[in-house]
Amino acid sequence: MPKIKLTIDGKPVEVEAGTTLLQAAETVGIQIPHYCYHPGLKLAGNCRMCLVEAEKMPKPLASCVAPVQEGMVVKTNTDNVISLRRSVMEFLLINHPLDCPTCDQAGECRLQDYYMQYDKIPSRFHEEKVHKDKMIDLGAGVMLDQERCIACTRCIRVCQEVAGVDELCLSNRGDHVTITTFPGKELSNPYAGNTVDVCPVGALTSKEFRFKKRVWFLESTSSVCPGCSRGCNITVQHQESKVYRLLPRLNSEVNSYWMCDEGRYGFDSVNDHRVLRARINEEGVSEEAGHEDALVELASLLRETSLSEIAVVGHASETCETLENLQQFAKNSLKSRYFFYSRFDPPHPYSDNILMTADKNANQKGVDQLGFKPLSDLKSAVGVLVLRDLTGQEMELLDRLQIPVLAFFAVNESPLCTKAKIVLPIPSYAEQEGHFINVQGKKQKIVPAFEPRGESRLVTEWLNDLKDLLESAGQKKKIAC
Amino acid sequence: MIEFSTQTKKKLEECLTHYPTRQAALLPTLWLAQEEFGTVTLEVMEYVAGLLDISPAHVYSVATFYTMFHLKPVGKYHLQVCRTLSCALMGGERILDHLKKRLGIEEGEVTPNGKFSLCAVECLASCGTAPAMMINEKYYENLDVQKVEKILDELK
Repeated sequence: MPKIKLTIDGKPVEVEAGTTLLQAAETVGIQIPHYCYHPGLKLAGNCRMCLVEAEKMPKPLASCVAPVQEGMVVKTNTDNVISLRRSVMEFLLINHPLDCPTCDQAGECRLQDYYMQYDKIPSRFHEEKVHKDKMIDLGAGVMLDQERCIACTRCIRVCQEVAGVDELCLSNRGDHVTITTFPGKELSNPYAGNTVDVCPVGALTSKEFRFKKRVWFLESTSSVCPGCSRGCNITVQHQESKVYRLLPRLNSEVNSYWMCDEGRYGFDSVNDHRVLRARINEEGVSEEAGHEDALVELASLLRETSLSEIAVVGHASETCETLENLQQFAKNSLKSRYFFYSRFDPPHPYSDNILMTADKNANQKGVDQLGFKPLSDLKSAVGVLVLRDLTGQEMELLDRLQIPVLAFFAVNESPLCTKAKIVLPIPSYAEQEGHFINVQGKKQKIVPAFEPRGESRLVTEWLNDLKDLLESAGQKKKIAC
Repeated sequence: MIEFSTQTKKKLEECLTHYPTRQAALLPTLWLAQEEFGTVTLEVMEYVAGLLDISPAHVYSVATFYTMFHLKPVGKYHLQVCRTLSCALMGGERILDHLKKRLGIEEGEVTPNGKFSLCAVECLASCGTAPAMMINEKYYENLDVQKVEKILDELK
């Protein structure tokens, strides 16, 4: 591609032909305010917030759609440009309800940000504002407030270009323009949550997240969605060991700017139904226990059996590191060569050619690379140590072969919690560091958002202590001899 | 289920030959639909969307953008009074007020017998003969209250 040279605010810029002025400015760190432009969507050029001046051009240019030209001299912060932005802001705010105190977008709203940056004058509009419908449930967990909408059409484009469906549209025109679905129809695509992300104002908010937390209280941690083998890059937003929402994070090779709703709302398993204390199950009675008691009990259970005949069962949704540790423990401490894995296998997994894969496990490639075998291959063992969960079929298999579950490393409540002799709590993906290998073979890192909840400990920690207990017992035996 | 008559279907086929894609023929198809069904209801929009292989949402967007598509039923005689500058200067507002009183309806309403409906519209491009109004497809120009009375009397 030929290169084009131009000047933006006195800075020389060299970019490929076809680049827009807004993108060219970003390459030298000049941010041009905008609403309708989104780097992941087609250009609309309707909000007029990105107007800039260029020498020899009779009128200001919308920098989001204007391509660079050789020798152009662009100015993005002249008095005239600033007054244009102020005018655009004034128009956008004429019918805006100014309900920031009750608006969920407050704190991440471009109307607020740009008002403080470019406008900062009281409204001159004293007439009655146009009133429209509020609190409309569009479907798919998206709420619409028509009065806050600035008609940038980002949400329409997300539905068209990401989900490939034409479900949203603008109806009417002028100051009566509103975003809507076809009357009587609901927003129903599996990527609808992205409309909330791209909405630059408070028009579209998430039914799941709204009114739960002011955004400025939330901490953000980069992570990877464990919902399927795509491994969309995400930001976990949380406070006090509770996840409030997941947002997609840009990775042009995996998920671009998007994620599916299944993944987006799939963080219940972090917040709810958690196993947070160790348990010892004896003859149908389940008792909570401190981690030392549980480990001592487990070690003595293990010693009663032939260690090398014990099978370990990893999980296709655990990190490579956890699986490796489990494997090393089996090899070195148990001297066992039985490493199997379980996986989440919902009966009718939804998948498409966009992001969602039919494999609802984050790390199938990881278990494959480490040489774990499917649990259905298990023929015999004196007992199993199970990570994460088992399917109903796999539990039946263990029953049929009369193999006891000696230990269950649990994130969430499961029938295994009563079946296993010892239950040890482990952290969810939001509380540990590690890697998942996605369907494309990319190894992606997850970072802990907060400390392991309750008394849960990393699998590595449990196994190291268990190893020490087994070894010290072994030594005692030797001494006794 | 609604459906175009054979005659309208023929018109549509002919119309489609003027456009590069089926989607491009949306406006003329909506006109045909309005001619045939009188009102562009949601059912009509979905039918048109099916004919042209586009989404109902897109049809809804277009049909609500243009004010000359009737989303609600109008009277046998649809009175459209110009309210833009030239007509306003020449007494267009008085014409509108008189019509409201005479027919006993407000803008956007239909008389109980379904004969007349009234609305104010933007420039009819008839500034030279202001004030002007359209009744269905026909222009009435250089209006005054007496003229309007006479026109209404003649409409059966």
